[in-house]
Amino acid sequence: MEYSLDRNIHSLLDPRTKLLLLFTSSVFVIGTAGEAWMKVFYWMLVFLPVLLLFLEKEWGFGLISIAIYVGSYLAQFALQHNLNAVESVLALMLFIITKILPTVILARYIVKTTKVSEFLTAMNRMHVTDKLTIPISVIFRFFPTVVEESKAINDAMRMRGIEMGAKKATEAIEYRMVPLIASCSIIGEELSAAAMTRGLDVGKKRSCIWKIRFRFPDLIVILLCLACFIWWGVGRFFI
Amino acid sequence: MINFDNVFFKYNKGEDSLKGINLTINNGEVVLVCGSSGCGKSTLVRCVNGLIPHFYDGEITGTVTVNGIDVSQTTLRKISHHVGTVFQNPRSQFFNVDTTSELAFGCENFGLESDEIEKRINQIVNKHELAKLMDRSIFKLSGGEKQKIACASVAVEPVDVIILDEPSANLDYKGICELQKMIAAWKEENKTILIAEHRISYLFPYITRAILMNSGEIEKEYSVDEIRGLTEDDLHKLGLRAEENKNPVEAIPDIPKVDGSGERLILTDMKYSYKGESPVFNIPEMEIPKGEIVAIVGANGAGKSTFLRCLCGMEHSCKAKLKVGDEIWKNKKRRQSIYMVMQDVNHQLFTDSVLEEVVISQEKEDEEEALRILESLDLAEYADKHPLALSGGQKQRVAVASAVASGRDIILFDEPTSGLDYYHMIQVSGLLEKLKEAGKTVIIVTHDVELIKKACTFVVPFDSVRKNILEK
Repeated sequence: MEYSLDRNIHSLLDPRTKLLLLFTSSVFVIGTAGEAWMKVFYWMLVFLPVLLLFLEKEWGFGLISIAIYVGSYLAQFALQHNLNAVESVLALMLFIITKILPTVILARYIVKTTKVSEFLTAMNRMHVTDKLTIPISVIFRFFPTVVEESKAINDAMRMRGIEMGAKKATEAIEYRMVPLIASCSIIGEELSAAAMTRGLDVGKKRSCIWKIRFRFPDLIVILLCLACFIWWGVGRFFI
Repeated sequence: MINFDNVFFKYNKGEDSLKGINLTINNGEVVLVCGSSGCGKSTLVRCVNGLIPHFYDGEITGTVTVNGIDVSQTTLRKISHHVGTVFQNPRSQFFNVDTTSELAFGCENFGLESDEIEKRINQIVNKHELAKLMDRSIFKLSGGEKQKIACASVAVEPVDVIILDEPSANLDYKGICELQKMIAAWKEENKTILIAEHRISYLFPYITRAILMNSGEIEKEYSVDEIRGLTEDDLHKLGLRAEENKNPVEAIPDIPKVDGSGERLILTDMKYSYKGESPVFNIPEMEIPKGEIVAIVGANGAGKSTFLRCLCGMEHSCKAKLKVGDEIWKNKKRRQSIYMVMQDVNHQLFTDSVLEEVVISQEKEDEEEALRILESLDLAEYADKHPLALSGGQKQRVAVASAVASGRDIILFDEPTSGLDYYHMIQVSGLLEKLKEAGKTVIIVTHDVELIKKACTFVVPFDSVRKNILEK
């Protein structure tokens, strides 16, 4: 059968919308700007990333994330009064998890659903300099690389019986990081050499085969983000 | 046209260099640059694609021109309009995560109209039957498939010079056949092709001449007939690989069946399948001679790596058992008793000195014993060095040293000679023989026919259904 490129393949959201959402989530979920005043928006921003994962049919990761979040959230109530040192640390960790997890999930969603080429083009349209965009774009490529390398290193450690807990924890971490950093830096260098022989360079106009534009779902998400900031502004300056 | 005019080059790190290269390659020529590792063949081709001097730092004198452009005076981006490159490591030459974008990447960077890029991609995909590989994640492809995408990406670009830098290093027999088709297609389109390789015979049907390099100089130039006329011994003396590209199962001649004497390790119930899919492999029984150097051949792609993981007891869902003497080894026991030297040894060197690397593998730490092991593998002088600062071959020997130190009797090698020239392959072969003398059972998963002929005492075909052992 004759192959024909479908240039209309696109993810639900435009890369620019995703970045706006990431920014909004950082401000209101991690930064908890507005606190109680922003409650409704806060919860929307907490659960939207999981909804996006489900739309990508990532059921497993989505459900585990919900379980961790709900678990940490509820455990916080149990750890509120008369805490000893260990419990305080634990409570702090749970607090950090509930603050950071939603944004981490969102970041993973973005890395997973955004093509490098789409990202470069979207940033270019926002007039962001290539000097920033190109290094950031490598992240999309590096996440799976790190996962792949870690798996291989993990295998090697299991085979040699050097697992977490088997020896001192610090050594276990060192043994994992040394080969990971070494192989990622080799891959990084070869990768940049290859990209440069294919004409990647800063400050030059590039084209993009993917059709990047705002669609209906973008409108909803952008309105949500704008509403967050407006409502926050109302609370901050008028009430 | 490519022209070298009295080119000297020295890397800042002081590695191999070029000493007075004069060479002219006309349009439409297919030139093989061969020689053993470190002869400067990769350095030479890097001067053409502009990575020298624009990416790798060093001192260059003389001029290299491509289509009349002086490479050292032109930006990499401009050179990339004329020259496309396929590299040896399929893991690290993709900038994108999905295959379709990767095909478009070069043209996008050139700023070509997207309709034009679409046309070019459709044309290349249909010509090389790549439809099955489109819209996939690069990370889900086998090494051979990745190399096919790398070639196709270059083919989509409107370049007229194509550089291949040891493109077959990580390919098996089938992968090389695919590579041959690609080169044939480029030749038909009258592209100028420059290939750096030490595995050479698969290129004979396409090349117009061959250049032999030695210590950074062009030692000799061969016509196609002359290089075809070289015997196996001649090629080996030059550090080159002599084997023809054949299916390893067929390439090892006259293998009689074993008579059943000698001790055996018996592997049973070796099967694996991803959830709800048909099995990747299903081997009811496989006999592996004990205390020998055994090659398992014919495995490739996902099947091969999964097989190795299962054999080492890493895959929980694989319920294989290995009978060793009277004992039955299940996953956990195999994980503790089999040592695998990985294809990329960087993954298994954890510590900051060679000695420590060996010591942590010992049941009971014993530095003297560790030094003795290093001595026996010619590594004593590197005891205090950082393992990652060593050469590829030395790293591999460090991994073997830890294997010996661990006291395990079964040592597994995953493609120990991929990308190695003849000299280095012989070194590995010597290493395997040492392990055999020490009473170890060595199992190698490989498609390197020369290594098998040189070192292996038994061959077991990796066959999904049948059970058989063949002796060399």
